[in-house]
Amino acid sequence: MTLRYLCALASLSCLAAMPGVGAPAQAAAEGAVKLPKPLHTPVMNKRYGIVAYGGVLTPYPPVAVVYLEGAFARPAAPATATMAQKDLNFVPVLLPVQVGTRVEFPNLDDTYHNIFSYSPAKRFDLGRYRSDERPVPSEVFDVAGMVTLRCDIHEHMRAIILVLDTPHFVLSDADGHYRLEGLPEGRFVLKAWIDSRTTLERPVELTAGGTLHADFP
Amino acid sequence: MRAAPNPSFPGVAGFRTKLVVAMMAVVSIVSVSTLLFTQRNLAAAARLDFRREFQAELASLHSIQGLRDEDLAERCRILAGKPRIHAALEDGAPDLLYPSAHDEMQGIMGSEAGAAGSIHALYYRFLDEKGRVVSPADGRTAGLLRPREEAELALPALPDRAQTGYIVRESGAGQETVDEVIAMPIVSSENGETIAAVVVGFRPPALGGSGADAWIQTGVWLGGRLDLPALPEPARGALAGAIARAVASGEGGSDGFEVRAGGTPYLVSFERLNPGSLFPPAYEVSVHPLAEALSRQRQLLWEFVGAGALALLGAFVVSQLLSRRLSEPVEKLAVDSLESREHWRQAEAALELTSQELQRSARFSADASHQLKTPVTVLRAGLEELLAGEELGAEARAEISRLVHQTFRLASVIEDLLLLSRMDAGRLKIQFANLDLSLLLDRVLDDLSALPDPPRLSVDSEIAPSLWISGERRFAELILQNLLENARKYNREGGRIRLAARADGEWAVVSVGNTGAPIPRESQAHIFERFHRGAVGENVPGHGIGLNLARDLARLHGGDLRLSRSDADWTEFELRLRLEAPPGGGTP
Repeated sequence: MTLRYLCALASLSCLAAMPGVGAPAQAAAEGAVKLPKPLHTPVMNKRYGIVAYGGVLTPYPPVAVVYLEGAFARPAAPATATMAQKDLNFVPVLLPVQVGTRVEFPNLDDTYHNIFSYSPAKRFDLGRYRSDERPVPSEVFDVAGMVTLRCDIHEHMRAIILVLDTPHFVLSDADGHYRLEGLPEGRFVLKAWIDSRTTLERPVELTAGGTLHADFP
Repeated sequence: MRAAPNPSFPGVAGFRTKLVVAMMAVVSIVSVSTLLFTQRNLAAAARLDFRREFQAELASLHSIQGLRDEDLAERCRILAGKPRIHAALEDGAPDLLYPSAHDEMQGIMGSEAGAAGSIHALYYRFLDEKGRVVSPADGRTAGLLRPREEAELALPALPDRAQTGYIVRESGAGQETVDEVIAMPIVSSENGETIAAVVVGFRPPALGGSGADAWIQTGVWLGGRLDLPALPEPARGALAGAIARAVASGEGGSDGFEVRAGGTPYLVSFERLNPGSLFPPAYEVSVHPLAEALSRQRQLLWEFVGAGALALLGAFVVSQLLSRRLSEPVEKLAVDSLESREHWRQAEAALELTSQELQRSARFSADASHQLKTPVTVLRAGLEELLAGEELGAEARAEISRLVHQTFRLASVIEDLLLLSRMDAGRLKIQFANLDLSLLLDRVLDDLSALPDPPRLSVDSEIAPSLWISGERRFAELILQNLLENARKYNREGGRIRLAARADGEWAVVSVGNTGAPIPRESQAHIFERFHRGAVGENVPGHGIGLNLARDLARLHGGDLRLSRSDADWTEFELRLRLEAPPGGGTP
């Protein structure tokens, strides 16, 4: 009942926003992703950012990536993102990037790290390097997909770079709330990546100036 | 027969032989069993020591091997935990599996991997989620294996912990070696499940020494095949067969057992190298050639045999000496008994002879007496008839009268002989009755004085009254008559006779003494013999049986007669008869 009420409210607000929007019609989407319950993790593993359980990699604490799938033009200048290593952990543990983004891997620890990935979306091996490595080792991610990062020296270190073929993506907060802005209008599929095996999706119709409320599930 | 005791007596010789044999038997049994027991104990102790040494050696080898195995397993575990291996398996990069491993194995694979006991790996292979071997694209980096050998690395399922296995591999030049492989599961860090395994091959540990002169030689038994290069081929085959049988029968081999293979005895112990492993069972075989130990034992045995022989020899000598000493008195006894038996036999024969002679003489006496009695009676009757005739002169009548008198003497002699022969034949039975000896003596004295032609003798008597004896009257009378007759006969002219009777304790003692020439000393011992007459009495009528008869009768009455004195002018006989209580009471 609450859901139906919320849907009604959302469509109402969409309808209300539509007439007032300017030339590049901007739409927004917001809502909540129902995140998996935080797994009980032993204290020893507290620093783990990515938890493997039952063959599923889950960010810890749980967080979702909500993105709009569609055919979007690539940006002229490639974007840059950062995946740092700090306190023998990746920061952040989950990094969504648009295809073509260059990700830098600065080592903020006093020890060596050796970041590599065998994931089909991106195979690379940065080799061993310290914090004073210049230029900061970086890789361009130009194939969409999930890339699992590992450190050859610290086997517990794990991070996920979600390479998305869209510029419209956002990380939810710890409660699962998200808000996407600057979306184009039209019919799209809105997806929510929750863990390595779970990506929820729903078709959405975005209207200029309107804010779509979409919850997962 | 009086010869010194020697084995001429078969029984004695037999006794000595038996004694020696018995002593030898006892000594032999005791010494042989003692020696056997000691030898058995010593051998058992030596064997036990040897086994202990063997087990201790094995244990120390095993501890070294255990350390090495732990080291190898740890290396494999580290390999299985490498992020790149995990990334290749978990992040969908199977093509990077072997290349990644190649990098990671740099420290494990070694140039000296071929050396026995090396901790460097020879090759490695990954097993997929079903336990099948994932063949490397380039076998050179992962170690070359033939397809058959590679297939042997496969497992029916992925292990949940490290597995040790052994495979036979051709090492070139047609030689085969046994490799030790360790299969280490690779556990996904994502889901905690075993997603793959890595199998690493090593050269098996060189235990104890692979040299032919090593104290313990160890090898690997795998599927009926024994890899023990130090052992010559025929022995190896036989040993492999023995172990196969022991394994098949399910009995443990860790305690060690002895096997004769190729003509040489071995102490063998085997132990499962990979208990509980998914790989085919392999056994570590530890072999110790027993030839030296056996020769030592044999030497010991010979020493014991020598000692035993010496002991037996000594025992033989000692038992010979002992038996000689022991059998001496027995031999003497045997000889003595033989001699005494001989004496006895002789005595018996003599007795038999005597008895026969006695019988014969007794029979003769009896026959003679009977045959004589009748003619004497006829003779006397004839002479008396002649006397009764009228036609004889006084001279002739006197002669015939003397002849009649002689027939009486003859009859009395015959009577005596008859009596003697009856006594000799044992047919004379005394009809015992109580007799008044005093009365009897008085009567005999009367008879003496009534004798015809009494010599001029004085007779005095001293007879105690009421001397009662037990006997037959006529025989008692005969004894006394004979004694008095003698006293009269052997007296001198004008001599005297003394008759005394008294009680002496339980005896009635009658002494009859007479004057006259004494009986010569040398004849005194013979006067009681039959038909003996004293030398003095050549001119005295007599027939030499009176005294003999008297003494025999006295003895039949339980008494005795002896010569108590015969010297100077006096000869005295003493008759002893047992006193009886007088019939009317009173003191005996």
